[in-house]
Amino acid sequence: MKTESTVKFVLRLALTLFAITAVVAGCLAGVNAITEPRIAALNEEKTQAAIEAVLPGGGTLAGTWSDSTGFVSKVYESDTGYAVEVKPNGFDNTITMMVGVDKAGKVLGISVISHTETAGLGATCAAKTAAGEAFRDQFAGMSGQVAVTKDGGSVDAITGATITSRAVCAGVNAALECVANMG
Amino acid sequence: MNFKKQFKEGLLTKNPVTVQLLGMCSTLAITTSLFNGIGMGLSVLVILTCSNILISALRKVIPNQIRIAAYIVIIAGFVTIVDLLLKAFIPALSENLGVFIPLIVVNCIVLGRAEAFASKNTVLASAVDGITQGIGYTVALVIMCVIRELLGSGTFGGGLLNGGEGIRIIPAQFPAMQMVMPVGGFLVLGCVIAGSQWLMKHLEKTSKKKEAVK
Amino acid sequence: MAQMKYFYELTISSSPHAHSSVTTQTIMRDVLIALTPALIGSIYFFGFRALLVTLVSAAACVFFEWGYCRLMKKPVMVYDLSAVVTGVLLAFVCPVTIPYWTIILGDLFAIVLVKQLFGGLGQNFVNPALAGRAFMFSWPVLMNTWVKVGYENAAGLLSSADAVTAATPMAAMHQGVMPEAGVMDLLLGSVGGSLGETSALLLLIGFAYLLYRQVITARIPLAFIGTVAVLTFLFPQGNPRIDWMLCQVLGGGLMLGAVFMATDYVTSPVTKLGQIVFGVGCGVITVLIRYFGGYSEGVSYAILVMNACVVLLDKLGRPVKFGAPKKEAAKK
Repeated sequence: MKTESTVKFVLRLALTLFAITAVVAGCLAGVNAITEPRIAALNEEKTQAAIEAVLPGGGTLAGTWSDSTGFVSKVYESDTGYAVEVKPNGFDNTITMMVGVDKAGKVLGISVISHTETAGLGATCAAKTAAGEAFRDQFAGMSGQVAVTKDGGSVDAITGATITSRAVCAGVNAALECVANMG
Repeated sequence: MNFKKQFKEGLLTKNPVTVQLLGMCSTLAITTSLFNGIGMGLSVLVILTCSNILISALRKVIPNQIRIAAYIVIIAGFVTIVDLLLKAFIPALSENLGVFIPLIVVNCIVLGRAEAFASKNTVLASAVDGITQGIGYTVALVIMCVIRELLGSGTFGGGLLNGGEGIRIIPAQFPAMQMVMPVGGFLVLGCVIAGSQWLMKHLEKTSKKKEAVK
Repeated sequence: MAQMKYFYELTISSSPHAHSSVTTQTIMRDVLIALTPALIGSIYFFGFRALLVTLVSAAACVFFEWGYCRLMKKPVMVYDLSAVVTGVLLAFVCPVTIPYWTIILGDLFAIVLVKQLFGGLGQNFVNPALAGRAFMFSWPVLMNTWVKVGYENAAGLLSSADAVTAATPMAAMHQGVMPEAGVMDLLLGSVGGSLGETSALLLLIGFAYLLYRQVITARIPLAFIGTVAVLTFLFPQGNPRIDWMLCQVLGGGLMLGAVFMATDYVTSPVTKLGQIVFGVGCGVITVLIRYFGGYSEGVSYAILVMNACVVLLDKLGRPVKFGAPKKEAAKK
């Protein structure tokens, strides 16, 4: 080993590492080929479930939409209405939620897909508890502009989580505005 | 090779969490429900055992100068495989553990055992080391999960039992939410470490007594 | 040998050799006396539940201290009254509607985890009462329920459900609006807030008493309150500027925190310069949390953060030993 020349030595290092990397990459490609369709199917299933939760019958991705708030990330449409995926800024980070709106511009329902709000306070907006259900259910039937009672609206904010409640309202407003522009 | 000794080391006297203090970020972050603890523990166990075996088998092939790079590539490979498999077949667990599965790549336990054990021992010994250290990690995680979940959410077996809700032991308005927040992680970790130290001292005393009797 | 015998008869002990009548017990007694006006005020504003919450909290702290010392076979030190002070202070920073079980759990956390596990009085690195309060945010809704003041709205001794809730002046200012209550209300204390924090005037009476008895020096409270005053005067969010500053200084837990908590001997620096930096740091963090934080009040977290810095602040402004070699020389 001591007599090995520098060139050979460097080559040996490089080739060993290359071999290991190549084998690992090959294995990963194999596993990816097996799991990819399943993961894609699961994600699709999840999105459809989220749409169905707010828009009975589900919907398909709309081609174009206009949005002045920057919160709207996707719009799904069906014969009866729209399901709008919005990402307003919550207390901690963006809240990803789905808002169902009918053709007349009335909220059908909302559901929170993912969030990082404070457990026990803001997290109530997505919780499967009575308080969480009550908070989300009150949006059904609203139209135009929504706001929490503190800001002069009619939405009862989650106790101790005004900022989260405001964020959800902002998301609903963005969805309503987007649907109004769809005509 | 002494399987019994290795097992005792992994579980108690050289436990990766309570004695070596490795892999703290995942330990503190995900120990909020039984499901998370078992899932994370078993994921690390599998990855650790696989990477230990492979690194031990290749220990004479990998040149010393690039060993860390080689280890990381091997570990990252296994982590990605586990990550993809979890996403495809146990999506609920993958969602709960979030970024902490990919972060196993830099979990000190895996690289630490590769460097300290697998690169110096036979394949069989390394495999046993991976399993015993993995079990030690899992047990420590599960203990923390049970304590934190009980005090912080008032339930037992969250994510697993009773349709994922867990069995409610303390009525919903009483549990101290801070215990499932970061601060609770640190508090409980301190108490678990203190408990394991006490246990070790206790065992040492009793074994000395036995010898004295003999 | 005669000389040796003489030595045996002397009591030999380490310094300090100068004794005074000041003990932990007398200091704590003075603190309790200084807190009495605010307690009487809180009974006037919030009803007898305020007194009962305070008594329960103090009793629980004494019980946990006694119980822990007995369990661990340590000398029982409850007669030094420090546990009573912790209990009263913890009650003072909670809403009057707090259920008794919640404050008892807070007491347990403060006494056992924060104070005793670190070695008891003199060893804890953060203020036990404030750490207990931080822990009690495990029940955020209970800790964020504020009732209107006034006898007709007093919370019941057993159930506090009947009391009408209202936002505190701090909540209004957090939104960047002047509170409805005027400066005079904030000074006298007829506003919503934690049990013992609402009346700045009554707390200042206690401050004056502590200064008179030389229990504390004015350095930390003045640096703390002064920093808040200067910052809120320079960067007002409401008009007029002076009123905004006065509301920020008199409102919330600033007086209580600055006078009774930031001055805790164990968790504040010993050097003069260290104490001033400590007070200024508390003030800056308080204003930052009030302006930009998620909570409307930041005094307790400001003090906790600065508590953690005390070990470093103690290195500031240390007197130089007479005749000691200069640093450069010492390094060599």
